[in-house]
Amino acid sequence: MRTMLVILTAAVIGLGAYSINMHGKNVSLQRTVLAQYTDNLTDASEKLSHLQRAVSQSLLFRDDDAIHNELESVWRLSSDVQSSMSNIPIGQGMSNDWLSYLGRLGDEAKKTSKTGDYQAWREKMPQVSTNLQSLSDEWSAATVDFYKNNGKMDVWLRQVDTKNPTTTFDNVQKTLKGYSEKDFPLTLSESDWQKKIDLKALQDSTITEKEALEKVKHLFPIIKDATFTVTKSSDTAPYPFYHIQFHQGIRLGYVDLTEKGGHLISYLVERPVDEARLSQDEIMKKAEEYLKLLGMNDVAFVESRENHQAWHVTFARVHPGDNALIYADGVQLKLAKDTGELLGANAMEYIQAETIKPQTPKPIDWKTFFDDDVKVQEVRNIYTDNGQFEQRLCYEVIAVRDKNTQETFRIVIDAENHNVLKVEYLT
Amino acid sequence: MRLISIIFALMLGISIFAIPQNDAIAFTGQQISRGAYGDDVIELQARLQYLGFYKSKIDGKFGYNTYWALRIFQEKYGLPVDGIAGAKTKKALSGYSDYDEGWVKAQLNAGNQFTYYGGTPLEQQVKTNTGGGGGGGGKSSGSSNNNGTKTQVPPKYTDRDVQLMANAVYGESRGEPYEGQVAVAAVILNRLESPEFPNTISGIIFQPLAFTAVADGQIWLEPNERAKEAVLDAMNGWDPSENALYYFNPKTATSKWIWSRPQIKRIGEHIFCS
Repeated sequence: MRTMLVILTAAVIGLGAYSINMHGKNVSLQRTVLAQYTDNLTDASEKLSHLQRAVSQSLLFRDDDAIHNELESVWRLSSDVQSSMSNIPIGQGMSNDWLSYLGRLGDEAKKTSKTGDYQAWREKMPQVSTNLQSLSDEWSAATVDFYKNNGKMDVWLRQVDTKNPTTTFDNVQKTLKGYSEKDFPLTLSESDWQKKIDLKALQDSTITEKEALEKVKHLFPIIKDATFTVTKSSDTAPYPFYHIQFHQGIRLGYVDLTEKGGHLISYLVERPVDEARLSQDEIMKKAEEYLKLLGMNDVAFVESRENHQAWHVTFARVHPGDNALIYADGVQLKLAKDTGELLGANAMEYIQAETIKPQTPKPIDWKTFFDDDVKVQEVRNIYTDNGQFEQRLCYEVIAVRDKNTQETFRIVIDAENHNVLKVEYLT
Repeated sequence: MRLISIIFALMLGISIFAIPQNDAIAFTGQQISRGAYGDDVIELQARLQYLGFYKSKIDGKFGYNTYWALRIFQEKYGLPVDGIAGAKTKKALSGYSDYDEGWVKAQLNAGNQFTYYGGTPLEQQVKTNTGGGGGGGGKSSGSSNNNGTKTQVPPKYTDRDVQLMANAVYGESRGEPYEGQVAVAAVILNRLESPEFPNTISGIIFQPLAFTAVADGQIWLEPNERAKEAVLDAMNGWDPSENALYYFNPKTATSKWIWSRPQIKRIGEHIFCS
């Protein structure tokens, strides 16, 4: 009995020592994390003040060079504050609002710097500067909460993660929302873009669940005998669609069809894939055949990629006026390497169908446009987004720099104003 | 002038027919071009490097570097210059070069940094993997397949992105249907396009309070091939979430805010929202 008591006492003492040790480690870890969060919070607060000053300073000058430097600072600082904000546990909604506001401010500075439209900047920014000052003040007051909890992260996290936060940060969020709408309202292009991705342009009549199933069986005869489960999108979804899940033997997958017109959004199958038996050429031929079956006859090949189970092949709509490829109207197919079976089709972008405005391309002398050791290998005309939600006619150039290192680049140049929209390093 | 043309044609003919037969069995029968991947591409790159035409990493991906090297080879050896490794080109390459498949595959599998130039002893062309990226990629990168080659992704993504996203997808949704896993990957990519989120994949995944798998450490589990395939499908454009920016499991979600988001659809245990 006595021995048992000794063993039990020793065990209790051991367990106690272990618990104290573990608790110490946990506390130490929590302090490290809290120190990092505090550092980011302080950094964000400080840079926010700098950002407000930079916006204010940008309004001092009429001289182009002087204002250009300040715009660079606004762009850099907004990016810095964004980075710090995204590393603070302030709740998803609040974080989203901050990142969006700062991103828009940075984009505006970058756009002004590029276009030289300083007058528009001067008209808009006095109000933004005032609003930023007020935001910065509210933020400073709100961050006091963060330091109040005696280093207890769990208390803080509980506060930020409620539906109706009671922290002073809540005030900042409300102010932010108001300023976002006033300072940076949606442009016409953005609004059009939002309508496009929300499939507002689809005006076809709605199809029934039964019709949707018939359509699926017609488009993908390989699963015509599958067991289907059809559900409708939630009432709050931006566009209504049928979500059709199926199961047939080794195949398991889904098809999404729009309710308006029953357009294919996407199709994906999961099944085991055996050793590759088809050549690249045979896969490409099969891809072309599937496109015809899906009724996509106005597209052309863009690129293909092989991986260990399947090929992903991309096509884009051809503009009927000038035969340029509209990259935003893409279609992606996934084909199994063993039999070439269609494992996936994604037509989300294809059904959004871009509206292309007429544009006049101006030729470029590549010898003067590029450096001496750059050789242009391929040029094709495409339509692509210019970063401001506008589809622009562009030259897509594949060029090689330096004959010895053979570095390959894809350069996208606006065909009308010759702005370089994109440069990609290809391997 | 005519005489010169005849002599030139004769020389060209002789050069093609006089291809040395170094390696009778080489390559598979299939024609490969840009976009291809796997063993045939590894052999193609190794042989082109053996002859000094290919200077990049041997990684089994038929990209532009392989394409230009092949075209130069075709030009130098009087073959039709099309950047496609067809029967004639493969035969010529096999004749003029040597290929030690066992050695090359061993280096790729070990994640070693290596080259395969002819005329230099192989042991002098290899640096043992120390955890970083090698000739065929670092061993630490889980996106390699069985023969050491990496996955092919659209140019805006990297192998690191595939690896990190596969970890997130596996940690967040390994018990979900395949569609649900692609949807989780698509949400990460939708956030990348959204101005309301950080602008890197790493920034999105490790944003405080963003993903449960980061908070509970499940993101560090080794992802399986299914999770990687789901990431590849999302990177190639599939989005079963229909443009969602959030998802949550209604049974386990602790955040009350998430219920305020407009819902789009449900896949498995997850509700996807905008």
